Amino acid sequence: MRSILTWQGHGWLCLPARIYLGCIFLLACVHKIAHPGSFAIDIDTYDILPIQAVNLMAITLPWVELVVGLFLLLGVATRAAAMAGAGMLVMFLAAVLVALARGMDMSCGCFASQAVANEDPISYWTILRDSAWLVTAMYIAVFDRRAIGLARLAEGLLYKPHK
Amino acid sequence: MAMQGTGEAQVNLAQELRRALGHAVLITLGASCLGLVVNLFHPEGIPYVTWSDYETLVPCPVPGGKVSGIGARDPLLVDARSLLVDARPKKDYQAWTMKQALNAPFDYLDPMPESVLKDMTRKIAASRAVRVIVFGDGDKPDSGEQLARELSGRGIKHVMFVEGGAPALMRAVNAGGKPAIRNKAR
Repeated sequence: MRSILTWQGHGWLCLPARIYLGCIFLLACVHKIAHPGSFAIDIDTYDILPIQAVNLMAITLPWVELVVGLFLLLGVATRAAAMAGAGMLVMFLAAVLVALARGMDMSCGCFASQAVANEDPISYWTILRDSAWLVTAMYIAVFDRRAIGLARLAEGLLYKPHK
Repeated sequence: MAMQGTGEAQVNLAQELRRALGHAVLITLGASCLGLVVNLFHPEGIPYVTWSDYETLVPCPVPGGKVSGIGARDPLLVDARSLLVDARPKKDYQAWTMKQALNAPFDYLDPMPESVLKDMTRKIAASRAVRVIVFGDGDKPDSGEQLARELSGRGIKHVMFVEGGAPALMRAVNAGGKPAIRNKAR
């Protein structure tokens, strides 16, 4: 167990995973940040949250995606960012599952609004895709103990061993 | 010794994950606060709390069951055992339709009253047709396909729809192709 956890290769395996996941979150937040009103409609479309919580979610969620995406890309607090990302993915999975169970024929709204994203309907592929991202996020959260990135660079600069 | 090492690793991992979870909560809260502040100055900013529902058009459950599409030149269209249903508005139906086609105007956003659908279902059940072929406006979504799904969901078997709807049928007529299109509605 210890050897698996402390294996030095995890950092290098996690690097592409982090870049990939970071880009996904950054791509996902762009439209939502630019058009919070459209995203609020997307959230309401799922008909899960009480209406009073819809706008708050529409305003805050994209910024969490942005920060998580940036942190994953830059290698800052990567395990925490991966955990926050995993939390969001669990939430998205639950929402899509509920919508599918209700037989809703709708767009995912993951990367663009319902109005323009007719080509991205929710399906079991959406579940599979989000699950794969969730596994990736969990892997980073558990194994990326010394992430390659800014935090490690700063740590190296600040705590350079004296000769 | 090995067991001790494993236990230590588990404790460390648990501690690390707990700490990371704490940081994750902080990241989430911080980013949320940032979003709330930016929203104040956002040109498309929205109120923090809304009390009235948004008008969402998409999330209707997919009506009914499975239906299959057929082409505008499919011979089934002129088969005497096919019952044709025109899902377009009455005005379009009166301008042009297939011979003997019933008219059942269907609007995806303004579903048919229950009584009309029941009446329609009764008419279909009473006919001697072995299949029902619906054609609509050919748009996206196609009113013909939507009505076909409604009917199929109500237990009518062998419901089909014409891909491309009435425009495809008209093109088939103009091209003089098969099947021979029936005349205007009586």
